[in-house]
Amino acid sequence: MAQELRSINLVAPAFKGINTEDSPLAQDPSFAETADNAVIDKRGRIAARKGHEVTTTNKTALGTAALRAIKTFRDDAGNTKVFSAGNNKIFSGTTTLVDETPVGYTITADNWKMVNFNDRIYMFQRGYEPLVYDNTSAVVEAMSDHTHAAGVAATMYGNEVLAAYGRLWTADFTDNKSTIYWSDLLNGVHWSGGSSGSIDISKVWPNGYDEIVSLAAHNNLLIIFGQHSIVVYEGATSPASMALSDTVAGVGCVDRDTVQYTGTDVIFLSQTGLRSFGRTIQEKSMPISSLSKTITKDIISLLQNESDFYRSVYSPEENFYLLSFVGQETTYCFDVRGTLEDGSYRVTRWPGSLFTAYETRRDGKLFIGTTDGISEYKGYSDNGVKYRFKYFSPSLTFGDPSRLKILKKIKPTLVGANSATVFMKFAYDFGTSFSTTEFTVGNQNPAFYNVNEFGANSVPLSEFTGGELTNQRSLNAVGNGTSVVVGLESDINGFALSLQEINLLALIGKTL
Amino acid sequence: MAEELFGSQTLGDIASYLEGGGAQGLAGLGLLTSAYNRLGNVGEQGQRLGQELAETQIGQAAFRPYTVTTATGGQFGTQIDPVTGQLKTTMGVSPEEQAMRSQLFGDAGQFYQQAAMPTGEREQAIFERMRLAQRPEEERQRLALEERLAGQGRLGVRTAQFGGSPEQFALAQAQEEGRNRAMLGAMQQAQAEQMQQAGLGQQYLGASYLPQQMLLQGITPGQTAAGASQQAQLYGAGLFGEATASGIDALLGSALGQGNLMGAAGTGLLSGLFAPSGGGGSEGTSFFDILRNL
Repeated sequence: MAQELRSINLVAPAFKGINTEDSPLAQDPSFAETADNAVIDKRGRIAARKGHEVTTTNKTALGTAALRAIKTFRDDAGNTKVFSAGNNKIFSGTTTLVDETPVGYTITADNWKMVNFNDRIYMFQRGYEPLVYDNTSAVVEAMSDHTHAAGVAATMYGNEVLAAYGRLWTADFTDNKSTIYWSDLLNGVHWSGGSSGSIDISKVWPNGYDEIVSLAAHNNLLIIFGQHSIVVYEGATSPASMALSDTVAGVGCVDRDTVQYTGTDVIFLSQTGLRSFGRTIQEKSMPISSLSKTITKDIISLLQNESDFYRSVYSPEENFYLLSFVGQETTYCFDVRGTLEDGSYRVTRWPGSLFTAYETRRDGKLFIGTTDGISEYKGYSDNGVKYRFKYFSPSLTFGDPSRLKILKKIKPTLVGANSATVFMKFAYDFGTSFSTTEFTVGNQNPAFYNVNEFGANSVPLSEFTGGELTNQRSLNAVGNGTSVVVGLESDINGFALSLQEINLLALIGKTL
Repeated sequence: MAEELFGSQTLGDIASYLEGGGAQGLAGLGLLTSAYNRLGNVGEQGQRLGQELAETQIGQAAFRPYTVTTATGGQFGTQIDPVTGQLKTTMGVSPEEQAMRSQLFGDAGQFYQQAAMPTGEREQAIFERMRLAQRPEEERQRLALEERLAGQGRLGVRTAQFGGSPEQFALAQAQEEGRNRAMLGAMQQAQAEQMQQAGLGQQYLGASYLPQQMLLQGITPGQTAAGASQQAQLYGAGLFGEATASGIDALLGSALGQGNLMGAAGTGLLSGLFAPSGGGGSEGTSFFDILRNL
């Protein structure tokens, strides 16, 4: 007897991002097993991320190396200058990378951290004398060469630098992992005299010993991130009198470059995933405060295998926090607009991303450092190179894992993806061999005012697009199984792609 | 007999003369001579008696040594050196007083010696004692601050402005001020003690002379009595002198009277010597006739 096709609609699939922690069978279909090169778009759909468009046209000084740091200098007079670091050099500029490395200053590593403070930009890296630039001198110079420098010594050549509460703070030195130095008030080149000073927190660590990784300023607190603990001081506006406010044991920070401010929270990468400082302080408990519970094991695996360094950025305009494991060419994109029921951010993955530096500009642009120089996060190709958008659902049982499912139709609804070839994939019973069917999305060239789409004197004269291209296809499917995984892949090469929904038509068969 | 000697004329004359009153004149001459000699003896006797009186009165008026003994055993004595004749005054206190005086005198010397010493060592000694008293509280304060700073996680604070934390600086400043006050206090105390030592030395020195002063005060009554005695002695000597002088005067007066009487008698008798014997007229043999007849 013929059976009625059962329609199973996956509305806004992967709306909740990746979930590799829960059992596939028990998962909400709103999660995704895979969401590569994807973001959660403005309508809450999974969509292809933007690519990067290289701004740099002359990267001779950079050679084949990648930029490891980007920072825009800005002073009160409105002067700006983009600095970057790579190939053991300091550069300025975006189109042409001009070597600004001080003469006689030898650099053998590019793990710089740059901060703006009181009309100067400061560059710190462990074991290196800090560099400083201001519009008056107009050159990058070693801090001790600065006219007003004082107390610049190897003991304060820190890896971490923080500009907060009217001072520069530095920590994480070659031979000292528990001391923080602060500069004189409003003078980042004064490290002796005035109200400069230091604090040794080796006796403060809640676990007896730790090493400072990063510093953060939040809510009139000085947050000192250790590798496995956090120490919080209040009253940092007067560092000589600041007092211990709180300590958190068991939660630390992996790398100084994973710390980002979102306005309400300080986000950082701990050994077990992404965490929010604000929540951590409230809860004082690791599991609840995790922002990456859906990919905890993945994060841990990446942490254990990371041999290079980390980079992160928070973009309020794009509503995401990017966390790159540079050595593994993997970036996780956390959507910060909201959290899931368990407090996690919705997360997608950008594999194969060769992003080695980030900088959020005041105009909302997101600069990305690569081997090509400075790029801007825009467009839908990686500097003209396509990248693949992937979505795979968790194993779907349609509410009855014991009965056979026979897929008949797969009806994806896509938005955008102009002229893209889309591969719809499906597999049964946790198989890794996917059946694939492909289709090409229709073309929708944009028409512009007073430009005849079809050429001069053609009839009709022009055709106007109706907005976003929406494409709905009905694809035949074969095979059967008790659980089904549906996937979609497409190379992104110039056009956006959003997955609105996937409607599956299946016959529900016998109970196995 | 007269004839055998001179001749019969002369002897006769002499005999006539003697019979005519010449013998009387010779007797008067003898008396005059005796009166003369007696007056001379009276002067010599008067001189001798005067010298004896003077010598007696010198002895009577001479200073008589005396000794005053106080109730505490001190003695004040005045005597004449038998060898040199010099007046010697000696004072002596009792053995107990002498012992006390020696002790006080020695102590006074020690006090002065201490007062004369540089105050540096004493200042240091006082300072150390004051610090010894301050240190426990300072240590308590330091530990309390250390605990407080540890509780606040601020043990490791080092600042260019304060060195350590402001509290550590304040505590160190307070302790340093306390130390400075102790140092100044030690200086003042040492100087006060120096003054005190000098004062004590002065007091002890004065006290060491107290037995002597008391002795001197104690001999005043004795000296008064000795003076009265001396005065009575002198008065008695005066009386003795006056009485003796009166006796001498009387003696000399009587001797002078005797001499005068003898002289007058002699004068009367002597006039017969030079007048012619035979009674009353110029027909008798005079003394000068005799001499011419020789």
